[in-house]
Amino acid sequence: MPASTRRAAVIGGNRIPFARANGAYSRASNLDMLTATLDGLVARFGLSGERLGEVVAGAVLKHSRDFNLTREAVLGSRLDPATAAYDVQQACGTGLQAAIAVANKIALGQIESGVAGGVDTASDAPIALHDDLRRVLVRLNAAKSPVDRLKLVGQLRPGQIVPEIPQNSEPRTGLSMGEHAARTALEWGIGRAEQDELTAASHQHLAAAYDRGFFDDLVTPYLKLTKDNNLRADSSVEKLGKLKPVFGKGPDATMTAGNSTPLTDGSALVLLGSDEWAAEHRLPVLAHVVDSETAAVDYVHGPDGLLTAPVYAVPRMLARNGLTLQDFDLYEIHEAFASTVLATQKAWEDAAFAKERLGLDAPLGPIDITKLNVAGSSLAAGHPFAATGGRIVATLAKLLRERATEENKDQRGLISICAAGGQGVVAILEAKA
Amino acid sequence: MTASVDRKVTELDGPPSLGPLYARAAAGAALPGGGGRDLPAREIVRRGVSVEQEHLADYALACGFGIGGALPLTYPHVLAFPLQVVLMADRSFPLPLPGLVHLANRITAHRAVTPDETLDLRVHADRFVAHPKGAQVDLVAEARVGEELVWEGRSTYLARGAEAPADNPPGTDIAEPSTPTGTGAATWKVAGDTGRRYAAASGDVNPIHLHPLTAKAMGFPRAIAHGMWTAARAVAALQGRIPDAATYDVVFRKPLLLPSTVELVTERSGPDWSLAVRSARKPDKVHLTGRVTPA
Amino acid sequence: MSNDLLSNLSNTPVAKQLGLPTVPRLRRFEPGQALLSGPVLVTSVGDGRFAKPISALVEENGQRVVTAERSESRTSIDTAGEEKLNAAVLDLTGATTLADLAAAREILTPAVKKLGPSGRVLLLGAEPGEASGAEAAAVAQSLDGFVRSIGKELRFGATANLLIVSGDAAPSAVDSSVRFFLSSRSAYVDGQNVHVGAPVGPTLDPAGMDDPHDPDLPLRGRVAVVTGAARGIGAAIADTLARDGATIVAVDIPAAGEGLAKTANRTGGTALQLDITADDAPARLISHLEQRHGGVDLVVHNAGITRDKLLANMTEDRWNSVLAVNLGAQLKINAALLESSVLNEAARIVCVSSQSGIAGNRGQTNYAASKAGVIGMVRALAPKFAERGATINAVAPGFIETEMTGHMPIGTREAGRRVNSLKQGGLPVDVAETIGWLGQAESGGVNGQVVRVCGQSMLGA
Repeated sequence: MPASTRRAAVIGGNRIPFARANGAYSRASNLDMLTATLDGLVARFGLSGERLGEVVAGAVLKHSRDFNLTREAVLGSRLDPATAAYDVQQACGTGLQAAIAVANKIALGQIESGVAGGVDTASDAPIALHDDLRRVLVRLNAAKSPVDRLKLVGQLRPGQIVPEIPQNSEPRTGLSMGEHAARTALEWGIGRAEQDELTAASHQHLAAAYDRGFFDDLVTPYLKLTKDNNLRADSSVEKLGKLKPVFGKGPDATMTAGNSTPLTDGSALVLLGSDEWAAEHRLPVLAHVVDSETAAVDYVHGPDGLLTAPVYAVPRMLARNGLTLQDFDLYEIHEAFASTVLATQKAWEDAAFAKERLGLDAPLGPIDITKLNVAGSSLAAGHPFAATGGRIVATLAKLLRERATEENKDQRGLISICAAGGQGVVAILEAKA
Repeated sequence: MTASVDRKVTELDGPPSLGPLYARAAAGAALPGGGGRDLPAREIVRRGVSVEQEHLADYALACGFGIGGALPLTYPHVLAFPLQVVLMADRSFPLPLPGLVHLANRITAHRAVTPDETLDLRVHADRFVAHPKGAQVDLVAEARVGEELVWEGRSTYLARGAEAPADNPPGTDIAEPSTPTGTGAATWKVAGDTGRRYAAASGDVNPIHLHPLTAKAMGFPRAIAHGMWTAARAVAALQGRIPDAATYDVVFRKPLLLPSTVELVTERSGPDWSLAVRSARKPDKVHLTGRVTPA
Repeated sequence: MSNDLLSNLSNTPVAKQLGLPTVPRLRRFEPGQALLSGPVLVTSVGDGRFAKPISALVEENGQRVVTAERSESRTSIDTAGEEKLNAAVLDLTGATTLADLAAAREILTPAVKKLGPSGRVLLLGAEPGEASGAEAAAVAQSLDGFVRSIGKELRFGATANLLIVSGDAAPSAVDSSVRFFLSSRSAYVDGQNVHVGAPVGPTLDPAGMDDPHDPDLPLRGRVAVVTGAARGIGAAIADTLARDGATIVAVDIPAAGEGLAKTANRTGGTALQLDITADDAPARLISHLEQRHGGVDLVVHNAGITRDKLLANMTEDRWNSVLAVNLGAQLKINAALLESSVLNEAARIVCVSSQSGIAGNRGQTNYAASKAGVIGMVRALAPKFAERGATINAVAPGFIETEMTGHMPIGTREAGRRVNSLKQGGLPVDVAETIGWLGQAESGGVNGQVVRVCGQSMLGA
């Protein structure tokens, strides 16, 4: 047993450009995308034939045949097939939670290296058979005698052929994420203009990051796509202002297809390792994983919004680390919806909320928005659910490393990712000068 | 609440088939002078009822319950309901079965009942009293495991335009649960075949639930959801949040026409939950209010 | 099989019946293949110093050394029952007179008759500029015309090349070049002359090197950067260098990352997505090499683009983009390499030029200018790199069968293929093998050279 723990290093990342659903990757499966992403990572870090400690990834929309998705991706990749792998799933928190799982094993000395992330396709989503048809077919398969089979065939009805398409909705509430977010937006009085401003900034930041070559060593093109195709470099508040609301009702509706993330296909992974492993392989350490926290809220019958769990997770993590919300050089708050990011900030700034709901004497206070999502986030890049965590971890780690080098000063970054199911995963990364 | 009376016991040795009963009741209702003036002193009993896994699974699926170690709170109702129909379809029953409107329902589970337990079910009618729009009656059911009372149900039905004996004591109606008005906890897209599904799972093949045409014949614009389906679906959303021993009261308000989109609203107050099912488009249109309290 | 139908056909019996011209099938290198496939004639005329070490090399490689028996009337070559010679190596560095030249002719006349398929004629001559006296200079220079003509006469895939060796070059200086030109790695290099001088930098201690004569891994332990490695010739270069033991850093523009990752993974190397024309590209490349590899041994400037248009229709954008990628980026990176400390001992730079840069090509003013510019750059930088113990050379591919040539109109393609002594297009691997030779630590005597990989094309010759 290891006597002490160490901090896992974020060495780098790889993702494929994110593609709006039913577009560039419409024929690619989760396995295809994850394998390509893994191979891109292997190429970037020269890991061909290498046995890594572990590969952990997942997908939110997953075919039953992909029960061992990550392991299959490893077997199809250039990694040593003796590299172990397993799947995790925590909705939009999948990628970050996978990274935490790997980082924790590295911290404990159980493994020296690992890859974490996720993939999702909304284009090749699993379509289930109508429940009745499915049951008849399962029984038919199990039926022993021809008579039994004939009886079962007699139960088939044309109406059963209508398939059940997975919906981006919460099983317990029947509401889409957008509808949930619209409620939270209304509750916190999030205005249309501020959402559109945040959205335009996301696009502009992402475009600028591409322009300066920031993603040259974070993204590997896939299926002829070289950039996230949701990105609109010329996005502006004015253009976004012309869109009609799609979530929420009546005059209070503020959430549009612009200030909400579209359904997206994509995949992202990060490479983690111990400092020693990185040094042995002459690989750079971008940042270290300091701590993480996962919170959940009762969005079904309780007072909290579906995507507000990070509001709770962050103060718990800050308290444990003796930090304030202002002790960060960069913030990465996943932009599920522009309103989510804004509501999260408002909740942190709200004294009554702090007291009544967070049990704090004082609110966490505001963050400096010039430090927020400085290389763009999900509104611009898109949001393939399980892939977002890997995108953010790699992006933030590289941003911190750049700043630490430029300013010759340690840098600290906060990641906050809200997830379906009323959960939120947050983490702290640090880069040494 | 119930006066002690000696009731003539009719024992059933199997589940009654409700289709013929409905048909007979419909025919009987067409005849003049059917039924007595007061409630029959009868009790319908079925002993040794064991739960069929298939039936339970169909019910759970139709209502949104998980399949697990305990019967859904509302499940014994569908076991007892045929006994209610036997009682109500009998010529001795003072009210015509067709057109009876389910006004309210109370279920009390005294403990969790597991699917492998054998239940003895008893149903009798009670509290036949005047209602502003006619007369109402309670059909009272109980389920016992051996001697132990594990589950009780009381279903209040209205017969429009009927008359109850004036001297019957009024008893106490199920108190109207408060209607929570917050944001919906869940949105349900209630499919057009919901009535048929629940009918198949519950045996309640009342034609108003089955098809727009049969519903039209009974005076409804479209098929309507079974009240007990709505009640079951609502309490299913609270699985894991409410104790095993609980009383679940529901009052049915506007009929839920199929298909439609409705919202479930829940509100917690200490150990109690109140809930409502309302139209998603017109939140003022409430289909059901309910209350769950620890028993 | 390539898409060269004639080449494929000419190796079938049908071809002879149809009277189709014969396209020889070139012997190419495969791992494990012996350096030589038959006896080798090794001899010298005059006071040569290379016949002995080359004979030793032949014997080391398991083949018999054949000498020419010169008598009054004739010169005979005894191949001891063997039908064909694999190669004829003539050390003419000591030939200073017309009589010496005549003696060389006397030896080569029977030798070329005995030369087998994919045979090799390799002449070693003196630097004309170092010659004492006009006759010696004339004789040294005559070898150039001599060897080019032999190249044009040889058949069945045989080649003829000339090493012009300075007087201060020790026998070991020509070793890697002799190996290259004798082996099947030089399959498509024909009619060339290459100057070999005293190796640059500190003297390499063969004993201190990692088994320099491991014939299968001549680049073992060397870190090689290949730009434009996502596909085509660049990918073949990466594959070939990796096969020879190099660790590959595959570079290409970010947009080509998918193919680049495949190259990197296939070669067990790493992928670096980098737009080499970006201002910070040299710095990023160098810092990557320092951080990830601690230095670099071989840089192959392969990345290139074409934006063909007649000069009359040439646009600023087409001109500038071609010049920026094909020449500007190489200039900037080379300058940065010279300023940095990233070059390991015995570093080698190889720049990919083009036949178009030598012969010109209609519609390619931009491309040809850039590729000719590469030659000028190589010559100018050779002494600068030599100061660092490094070399810089260029390879100039002729008609190479690639995806790109596959899309040419058939007429252009056929013409391109046949106008050379080997009557066929080369393969990307032929370019790669040439780069591999120039990239070896042992090739320090070759600096500032332009080696055409063109099957002795008539264009620009």
